Amino acid sequence: MRFLTHLLLMFAVALAVGFGLSWYALSDGRLFGAYRVGPWAAWPAAGSPTPDPYTRAHIARTGALQLGQSEGLEFVASTDSQGRPLDRACTYRVHGTTPVASFWTLVAEAQDGTNIARSEGEEALHSARLVRNEDGTAVIFVGKRLSPLNWLEITGEGPFSLALTLYDTAAFGGVGSGADTLPAIDREDCA
Amino acid sequence: MIRTLLWLLAGVLLGGIIHIVVILALPYFATEDVWSRVAALQAIDKPVVLPVPKPGEPNPLRLDPDMVYAVCQVNLADGPGVLSGTLPDAFWSIAVYNRAGAVIYSTTNRDGIGQNLDLGIFNAAQTRLLAQQQLDVAEGLLIVESPQNNVFALVRLAPPHPAMRARYAEALSQLECGNIQ
Repeated sequence: MRFLTHLLLMFAVALAVGFGLSWYALSDGRLFGAYRVGPWAAWPAAGSPTPDPYTRAHIARTGALQLGQSEGLEFVASTDSQGRPLDRACTYRVHGTTPVASFWTLVAEAQDGTNIARSEGEEALHSARLVRNEDGTAVIFVGKRLSPLNWLEITGEGPFSLALTLYDTAAFGGVGSGADTLPAIDREDCA
Repeated sequence: MIRTLLWLLAGVLLGGIIHIVVILALPYFATEDVWSRVAALQAIDKPVVLPVPKPGEPNPLRLDPDMVYAVCQVNLADGPGVLSGTLPDAFWSIAVYNRAGAVIYSTTNRDGIGQNLDLGIFNAAQTRLLAQQQLDVAEGLLIVESPQNNVFALVRLAPPHPAMRARYAEALSQLECGNIQ
């Protein structure tokens, strides 16, 4: 009887550790494979010809068209800079610099990748169509309530994530590439 | 007590093995992967412009609403694949994917290609023929070597303004794609 209890306990622990760890590693790549800076996570090897096993599992799991290494890089944030999950009830201020790139786009998406922008409004923010400060930086507001400057209007309820896609970027290109110059996401007031 | 701890330790070790097996086996058991999604588009030997989902619509391929996409699938067993045409003078990039959805080659038009896209995809045997000059190809062809026969190419084109989307999609649908006989 004691043996059976121990055996069951071992299998329970094994299953929990095995599948739990796998799920955890593949959500934003929290163990290996991903590059994380602040709230942003990217899979730099996703566009390489020979991705590592974690990246390969990530590619298979998302089933998305990855950007090639020379095409660009996508960063995804599902929390704000303080680590709280992004909630559509709140307004977020995205500000700061971005790594060197030809251009970039910012899309608000639901967990399954659905674009949650208001259908009659801007579907995404494009770096060439922004109101900018004198020093070249931009302040972006993401939320449901009317906001000044650059406003990405979203709809619906529940959690969401922000996808920042840098095209033709020098991030990870070596010295002074600036992969750590990603914008901060600050929570403003919540409804 | 010690015996229970040993059993727990064995559980953790077994869990580690399960984790490694799951990570390694996941690509082989994924049914909704990028290859099956692209195969469903029937883009064999012809460019197909991908419809970019509107807000609120499911977006399994995670397409960027600011880009226009065209995909073309070729089987190198029928001969080297070729993708050519003239594209608008805006940013565009091209990626060649294998069966597993990994990018085996990618480049952008900022690499000095300009507006003319001329890409040839060759498998190992065809690359050897190419090196022995037994395969006649046009000069200036961008040569990609693919270890596998099943590949697809994706062209991403960035319209400077959403108003240009229709014209840019038209330019993408004019691309030539298929096998060199």
